[in-house]
Amino acid sequence: TGKRRLIPSRAALNLTESAATKIKTLMADKPQVLGVRIGVKTRGCNGLSYTLDYAYEKQKFDEEVIQNGAKVYIDSKAQLTLLGTEMDFVENKLSSEFVFTNPNIKGTCGCGESFNV
Amino acid sequence: LWSEQLAYPGTSRIHSQNTRTLTTEAQPESASSNAGILLSDRCVKRLQKIGASGEYLRIYVEGGGCSGFQYKFDIDTKVEEDDRLFERDGVGLVVDVESLEYLKGSTIDYQEELIRSAFQVVKNPKAEHGCSCGASFSLKV
Repeated sequence: TGKRRLIPSRAALNLTESAATKIKTLMADKPQVLGVRIGVKTRGCNGLSYTLDYAYEKQKFDEEVIQNGAKVYIDSKAQLTLLGTEMDFVENKLSSEFVFTNPNIKGTCGCGESFNV
Repeated sequence: LWSEQLAYPGTSRIHSQNTRTLTTEAQPESASSNAGILLSDRCVKRLQKIGASGEYLRIYVEGGGCSGFQYKFDIDTKVEEDDRLFERDGVGLVVDVESLEYLKGSTIDYQEELIRSAFQVVKNPKAEHGCSCGASFSLKV
């Protein structure tokens, strides 16, 4: 396409240690999985919601983040909204989930699953 | 977030203008099958995994969320006087009678996804799901 792609100089995403550890655990018994892919989709009461899937290949415009041996691909559509976000993994008896702390967010929903930027 | 809820166990859990239905209908009923709450296999399995004996999963309904009401989950060791206890395969679920009015006929599931694993209320016959996250709902009129 000849267009210049802007590549942010700082990491697009920061993983906390527990997030990196969890991702590595998830990948441990799946040799065909390269990492996880984060995306956003229009869902929820406040516009956008994160998605997380296994990544079997690197797609053309994926941003690749490698930290502590954990590999995360960021879908091209999610890159702008995720810039500077911290990804954490929180686990307790009631739930275990990846939590995104995103400085770009202007509002969230009560459950914290959806947001707008 | 959870510690905050643990700190005020005595606070009134339902803030709604709909108190009339609560007081008139909150009669004790047999806590069997469809008048009660069902626990899915995954829910039971998860509770067996995390629960020390004498610990119950507590569910209550609170005003709030984007659709008017929201489900709250907690781990509790006490069964209060106005609680109903639902047991299956050695695990227990407690619901106070007020919240039970909003939960009757529901199934409690433990949904595991890559991004999030959590207890969820599914198939609540009284709820119109307002929010896709499933944490918040509005009542069917």
